[in-house]
Amino acid sequence: MKAVFTFSLMTLRMLFRRRTLWGILLIILLALAGIASVPSFDVSNQGRFILDFGLFGIEVGALLLALGLAATLYPRDRETRTLMPLIAVPLSRWQYLLGRFLGAALIQAAALLVTCLGLMLILLFHKLPIPGDLLPATLLIIVEGWFLLSTVFFFSFFTSPPLNWPLTTMLFIVSQMSVAEFVGLLPSAPGLMRAVRMILPHADVFHIKDPIAHGFAIEPVYFLVAIFYGLCYSAFMLSLALAVFRGRDLK
Amino acid sequence: MADAHPLQVKDLSKQFARKRRLGSVQAISSISFDVRQGEIVGFIGHNGAGKTTTIKCVLGLLKPSEGGVSLWGSLPAAPVVRKRIGYIPENPDYDDSFNPMEYLNMFASMRGLSGLNSDWMKLLRRVGLAGWESTGIRQFSKGMRQRMSLAIALQSRPDLLIMDEPTGGLDPIARKEFREIILEENSRGASVLLSSHILSDVETICSRAIILSRGRLIAEGSMDDLLGQEHLFRITVISRKTGKEVEEIITEADLQTRIDSMRQDNLTIVKIERALKSLEDVFMAATGGSVK
Amino acid sequence: MIRYVFLFTIVYLSFSGCRTDYDIADVAPVEFLDSEENHEHLHEHADEDTSCTHDSNAHTDGETGEEHSIDEHVEASHAGHDHASGTRNHGTQWFFNQPWAAPFIWRKLFRDSVIFLGLAVAVFFLSSRRRRKR
Repeated sequence: MKAVFTFSLMTLRMLFRRRTLWGILLIILLALAGIASVPSFDVSNQGRFILDFGLFGIEVGALLLALGLAATLYPRDRETRTLMPLIAVPLSRWQYLLGRFLGAALIQAAALLVTCLGLMLILLFHKLPIPGDLLPATLLIIVEGWFLLSTVFFFSFFTSPPLNWPLTTMLFIVSQMSVAEFVGLLPSAPGLMRAVRMILPHADVFHIKDPIAHGFAIEPVYFLVAIFYGLCYSAFMLSLALAVFRGRDLK
Repeated sequence: MADAHPLQVKDLSKQFARKRRLGSVQAISSISFDVRQGEIVGFIGHNGAGKTTTIKCVLGLLKPSEGGVSLWGSLPAAPVVRKRIGYIPENPDYDDSFNPMEYLNMFASMRGLSGLNSDWMKLLRRVGLAGWESTGIRQFSKGMRQRMSLAIALQSRPDLLIMDEPTGGLDPIARKEFREIILEENSRGASVLLSSHILSDVETICSRAIILSRGRLIAEGSMDDLLGQEHLFRITVISRKTGKEVEEIITEADLQTRIDSMRQDNLTIVKIERALKSLEDVFMAATGGSVK
Repeated sequence: MIRYVFLFTIVYLSFSGCRTDYDIADVAPVEFLDSEENHEHLHEHADEDTSCTHDSNAHTDGETGEEHSIDEHVEASHAGHDHASGTRNHGTQWFFNQPWAAPFIWRKLFRDSVIFLGLAVAVFFLSSRRRRKR
């Protein structure tokens, strides 16, 4: 595992030095600041408004970070041939995939924590209380971000980056839908749509902006189970990505 | 498997599928050869002959369609054997955001090597990158990237060096330095598979050569065998018309008959000597060109 | 690749528990749907949250923001609250304030997680073995 950790640190340093990370981070922070500056019709609702849309902004940020950081990683490695000396000698394919994933996941988590901090500062600036569940909610979004990251890796092994963006975004949207909404997309084949929806992930479990904005008590076990679910689904997506990668010839 | 050769390739074939209705391309077909302990084997062939495909199959980057590869008797994917290999890819490239010292430290860590910065400084000096250790790779020329690649390959003191066109694009001085390093590694005990277009390099340092053409192995043998396989002789005579020396190359079988006919023609034979062919002659003859 | 997807689909669908989703119509106990008390409680709660109308999940009654599907029996006893079967709103909010739902969600999430983990391990080793064979 030492090789994986070293390679993940190498990936982390590489991504840290790229402008993509900083560009996306800036966009999210600007969007959060924009949300806070939208005039509220009712002062008592401003906290809810900022929290609700702020967490939604962070969630969309997780998607942008996953795509911006990982969609070009493998295609670029192949194109520039940096992949060859790595796969030929020190790393096996699963080590390469896991190393790249962990590096990107760490930097994505750090960036999302920064955006959470940004949201807290905005709440403080408006003299609004910071809910205790804000940090755990961000943690859930981080796990959702990892799931999206694994999805981006999966698609990157058989599509180009321009195709990866719409595919991952589509999965992101679909994974937030209930069965009824999903069946509504193609009402003529309810059985098929229902079966497909069952296989697709339920990303709505990471999606607790409403309960937090409305001040509901959330049991700690919920966070634990949802995080476990996110990690397991990510592991599954990564294993599929690995199966595709293992079948690839590196010409 | 302690006595197994460092590299054994048996009946190796590789087909690449093309787009629909275009069928497939046979990149290499039924190639068998080996690299024995302590040998430097030249791997030569024209563009598209299948050298890089063979090397990528050896390293597990491509899956053979048929046949197999073994490294010290094990599959190429086995971690134990991968640790013993040094690889220099064709046109190597590295992530621009790092410098050579960072790269060497990361590769050392991934390979489980316990080297210090001072060791890597020595290595960089050896490959001609002294003074460049903290410079970003984005500023490196093609030749410097190849030197960087050599440093990474030598870092683990490999038992088998696999080099794919390592001296392509290098100037003559750099090529000479590369050759010297390869010979030093060989004298340390490393076996080498050297794929190259530069036949003079192969002729100078290799003990054996394998010639590929259109995906097939067409000649293989020790350098002495390849260069002397037809036992050619060069006869120098004085021309009656011009009075100048003229050279003629003939095979050993025809030598006596030709000498007799020259004597009958009252030609003055100045000298008869063994005509040494170059690897280029052999390569041209083997691949359909002509012997000088 | 296709074989892994098939394998996954068959294993996943063979677990009976996975054939239900989070929709109230599918998972709510009959007692709950029959219970007027519960329904009224929900209604009261939803009234408290009428400001939250921006959620992406659709609901037909924007004024109340009420969330549940009601079978015919319930529809009969609650005219005026006509939600399409399976509809829910406010994202995951509904199971945070319905005591019967939480254990169902924990169990389902945990079971799904274990299935995915098992599948991940299986795909990892199967693809590794397939590669070695070559």
